[in-house]
Amino acid sequence: MEEKGCLGIPRALMFYRYFPFWRTFFERLGWKVVVSDGTIRREKIVFFEDSCLPMKLLVTHAVQLREKVDHLFIPRLVSIHRTYIMCPKFRGAPDVVRLATEGKVSVIDETIDLRKGGLSLLQSFLKIGEKLGSTRQEGKKAFREAEHSFNGFQRGWVDRINQLPTRHLFEMDIPIPAQRSRQGCPEPYMVQGATSSVEVGGKEIGAPLHVALIGHPYNLFDADINKDILSLAKNLGMKILTSDLLTEKEIDQELSDLSKEIYWSSGREIVGSLFHFLSSGVDGVVFLTSFKCGIDALLQEFIKRRLKVRGGSSIPLLILSFDEHTGREGLTTRLEAFRDVMEEQKRLQIAKCKRM
Amino acid sequence: MKVTFPHLGSMHIFCKAIAETAGIPYIVPPETSRKTLTLGVLHSNESICLPFKIILGNFIEALQMGADTIVMVGSGPPCRLGLYDLVQRVILEEMGLHYRWLTIPPRLTWQAIWKNHEETKELRKELSAKNILLFPYGLWMGWKKMIACETLEQLAMKVRPMESEKGETQRRLKKALSWVDEAKTPRAVEEAIRKGESLLQDMKQDHSRIPFKVAIVGELYTVMDPHINRGVEQKLGELGVEVTRTSWFSTHILRTLRKNKADQASERVRFFEASKAYLGYDVGAECNVSIGEAIWRSKEGYDGVVHLMPFACMPETTASGILNKVGKDWDIPILTLILDEQEIEGRIQTLLEAFVEMLEWKRRAA
Repeated sequence: MEEKGCLGIPRALMFYRYFPFWRTFFERLGWKVVVSDGTIRREKIVFFEDSCLPMKLLVTHAVQLREKVDHLFIPRLVSIHRTYIMCPKFRGAPDVVRLATEGKVSVIDETIDLRKGGLSLLQSFLKIGEKLGSTRQEGKKAFREAEHSFNGFQRGWVDRINQLPTRHLFEMDIPIPAQRSRQGCPEPYMVQGATSSVEVGGKEIGAPLHVALIGHPYNLFDADINKDILSLAKNLGMKILTSDLLTEKEIDQELSDLSKEIYWSSGREIVGSLFHFLSSGVDGVVFLTSFKCGIDALLQEFIKRRLKVRGGSSIPLLILSFDEHTGREGLTTRLEAFRDVMEEQKRLQIAKCKRM
Repeated sequence: MKVTFPHLGSMHIFCKAIAETAGIPYIVPPETSRKTLTLGVLHSNESICLPFKIILGNFIEALQMGADTIVMVGSGPPCRLGLYDLVQRVILEEMGLHYRWLTIPPRLTWQAIWKNHEETKELRKELSAKNILLFPYGLWMGWKKMIACETLEQLAMKVRPMESEKGETQRRLKKALSWVDEAKTPRAVEEAIRKGESLLQDMKQDHSRIPFKVAIVGELYTVMDPHINRGVEQKLGELGVEVTRTSWFSTHILRTLRKNKADQASERVRFFEASKAYLGYDVGAECNVSIGEAIWRSKEGYDGVVHLMPFACMPETTASGILNKVGKDWDIPILTLILDEQEIEGRIQTLLEAFVEMLEWKRRAA
């Protein structure tokens, strides 16, 4: 199929979850998908509004792309769950980008609101397809293929995180390397249900520490925000788990006794998976937040207090907050210290098991 | 049982009226002070919005004074206000304070009424039949006092730029509001309004001035509470500016009761429509209305707009970025003040003085 033109996707916000879907969809419709460059230096950040760093990066990436593409794809993500909603900033994001790029590029800002029913995602993408001059037939076919490729990608996601360098995470053409050392005896993920102390005792110190990284997907995987914490953690011998491993039911279980329902889908995922990991057999939990993130600020306080009220947790928890001034050196120090805490904790547990 | 409620502008006057008329024991938290804020800041973190901290501070102070039942307005998505109670409850619990919590539902739905019924089950045992029977009357008294406060405050906003002696309006307004507060019967409230109005109007005024017209827009808590916005309304008035705002208790209550026929509620719809040129979707809270109001005020010939928001407020952050552009497109000066826990009263004064000076230049040039 000949190419109809260039379609730009800024490497920011929900790119870090839905890129495989978006890319397949637009490529099947015959568009060349252009993604903005990764690394953005601090001096290059566009301060259009005084928002959180992920939002500033969206504007920066969009401004960077505006001359290279025919359309910019910035969906208005109102809700990506059948009941819960997204942060209100996502609702205004396309408008902010339109003003920041001074109308020099067409912005495709179709509203995505899954609360409207099961077919609303398809409807939204069909509308996008029509805007780009495709028929409904083509749109439907592309949507199916996109869904398929997204699901396939999601299945191998945690392996991808652990085995590929961060900059290759979303290079869909690079396959997950074959597992070398672990092929003989596959190590069980220690998250399903509470693990018994026997299992912990069987593990030797030096085996990888299982660390759960919790946060919005862009905080987790955007190296511009978190200064590539993934590679730092992997170099320190940590095996990374994320909330993608959990089912919605497991997350909801942790939230069933709240006095009021948390209505942000990302917030639910964060609180639910955090409490799930804290009560299962991981070695440590790291919560990544962006400075000025409204959802994280409120929930962070909730998490801390709830833990205290419940009598604390034996699993170490580290809360890291990022902004454009965060440096890699400070981060390394904190992660190293965190690793030492986890190892000490593990040693104590093993000693306890041996005594029993 | 001792009921308490947060401070918000003159809200304590009519909340007190409701409790007093129905004969329910209550405690008004001490006036929001530096100490209140310090308490709130101590028990939350830096990126939580200012209203959260102040309300939390109010509650802590009231609970320490012996209150045991907190009444709090609920709200819905997408703004953080809707989850204040979830987090504040855990914080108070962790501090070891005992309380019972009662949420006023934001929307009148069957679900909300049922939840309210469940929540009040325990409380109703402590109330006598007299309390319950008098409650509707209490609500009516509260409503009357609320309207009285708003009438007086609106009048004060009009006469303040004309005052001959600086600060006189504020002194007189305070006195008039205390009359409203003390009134016990509906007739006494009427009387208090009349007396208050004449007190404000009889003040020595300089009618030769032509005041600037400035609209205050933004997040409702920062717009309505003088403790949070460090008296922006009063400061602007004393600099010779006639201030207008559309955020009042009555507007928000009528809006949630879906009484859209009232003038001010339909004004909101008008603002909302205007914002569509810049925002393609309802961002939530006051964001769209702030933008729409700025556009309309420019059309109506206002001299400027002051936009108030708490630091890190989610909807208003989007609004502030867009308002920048609105100001340029519609040629109306817009001053955004971001409020947080820091002691910035002096800075606000300087900013407002500079803003008014700029308005003067603009007027002279025209």
